[in-house]
Amino acid sequence: MIELRGIFKSYSNRPVLKGIDLEVEQGQVVVIIGPSGSGKTTLLRTINFLAPADRGLIRIGEIQVDATKAHKADIMAIRRSTAMVFQSFNLFVNKTALENVMEGPLVVRKLPKGEAREMSLHYMERVGLAGKEDSYPNQLSGGQQQRVGIARALAMEPKAILFDEPTSSLDPELVGEVLAVMKSIAAEGMTMLVVTHEMSFARDVAHHTIFMDQGQIVEQGSPQQLFSNPQEERTQRFLANFLDRRV
Amino acid sequence: MRIYKVPVLRHIVGFYTSFIRGTPLLVQIYLAYYGLPLMLKALEASYGWRFDISGIPAIYYVYVAYSINTGAYLTETIRGAIEAVDIGQFEAAQSIGMTSQQMYLRIILPQAFLVALPNLGNTIISLIKDTSLAFSVTVIELIAQAKLTAARNLRFFEVYIAAAAIYWLTCIVLEHIVRLAERYAKRKRGLA
Ligand SMILES: Nc1ncnc2c1ncn2[C@@H]1O[C@H](COP(=O)(O)OP(=O)(O)OP(=O)(O)O)[C@@H](O)[C@H]1O
Ligand SMILES: [Mg+2]
Repeated sequence: MIELRGIFKSYSNRPVLKGIDLEVEQGQVVVIIGPSGSGKTTLLRTINFLAPADRGLIRIGEIQVDATKAHKADIMAIRRSTAMVFQSFNLFVNKTALENVMEGPLVVRKLPKGEAREMSLHYMERVGLAGKEDSYPNQLSGGQQQRVGIARALAMEPKAILFDEPTSSLDPELVGEVLAVMKSIAAEGMTMLVVTHEMSFARDVAHHTIFMDQGQIVEQGSPQQLFSNPQEERTQRFLANFLDRRV
Repeated sequence: MRIYKVPVLRHIVGFYTSFIRGTPLLVQIYLAYYGLPLMLKALEASYGWRFDISGIPAIYYVYVAYSINTGAYLTETIRGAIEAVDIGQFEAAQSIGMTSQQMYLRIILPQAFLVALPNLGNTIISLIKDTSLAFSVTVIELIAQAKLTAARNLRFFEVYIAAAAIYWLTCIVLEHIVRLAERYAKRKRGLA
């Protein structure tokens, strides 16, 4: 469903992604972990061209784009068949929760208003926020905002959803509700590429895990393999540090 | 920089706003008053167009100067307000596949407008106060009217007081409208 081939990206001559190859099958959940600055966010953003790659091949379903000669129409097509959930939620602050969810179906997918509204109400309920339709983002808790963010992504009915540390800016007691929603949409077969440091989520939900460092994929495998029996020294060091920090 | 992507345009706009904001409006009015007729004459000479230059009322040059001047301040205000909108709002709009036009009309400009409101109000208020400068190119407006009236009955002070009161009142009403607009916009997004 998602395929990346040889993705390179530099910021002012400093390479941030150094040839990433990656594949996510339909209905799979792939989790990316790695130290700060390793390029995880940038990688997700090359997929939907929020940060266009310098070169490489990007395929979403049947849409295939060469980053060096991406046309506007290709970029739009890719954006319309993916959705992104942001670390800082990025809900439209001038719109209510329901309007946030409806923007995609109504404005981008151009569904009739009644249908877009029905669908958006359905997804609000799906993330457990029935009754919060008329709240503005600043009237919602972080966990609720992020669930609206997920509903907004779902309402695009995308081929895949990209999650960039969706729970990192949440108070610990709010993390659970967001992970629960993510688990349930994974169970329904959504294709998901998730950057997260929630090891329990990775262990329970991920089909495949990837460890990134310094713009490269260092090691990958099943969550059990990667977490319990890492082969690479860098992975071992990261996991040791990481688990230390957590306890 | 995410607004001016066309380099030539950016330089032109940068020069324009810098010049207008760095020179007094009075000087700009004189430039328009004396400069525009020269420009029209030059156009006449080189293209053979016909203008009745002496028939153009002075107030028109003042309008041109005001428009150019206010345009510069509004440009800066709106540019600043757009830059104040969180980058995440742009990214979210792009991530769901909005076109630039959809993004600006539905997400960015409504937010920028709220940021810009106080400044927009100030710009309009100074524009109103600056209308008194129009007198300097023999245009009769509020202060001018006051001077003429005063010359007739020699009660300068009362008449200027009256003129000041009218300006003041107009500005107070405007400030009030801006405040109401702000409150309305804030309430509309759950900020108040
Ligand atoms: N817009 C940008 N301009 C310049 N450099 C950038 C930009 N975005 C990211 N970088 C740099 O690219 C590198 C990778 O950043 P990225 O955000 O992808 O890392 P990350 O793995 O997501 O880190 P974190 O875990 O802290 O979120 C960093 O060194 C960062 O400073
Ligand atoms: Mg990141």
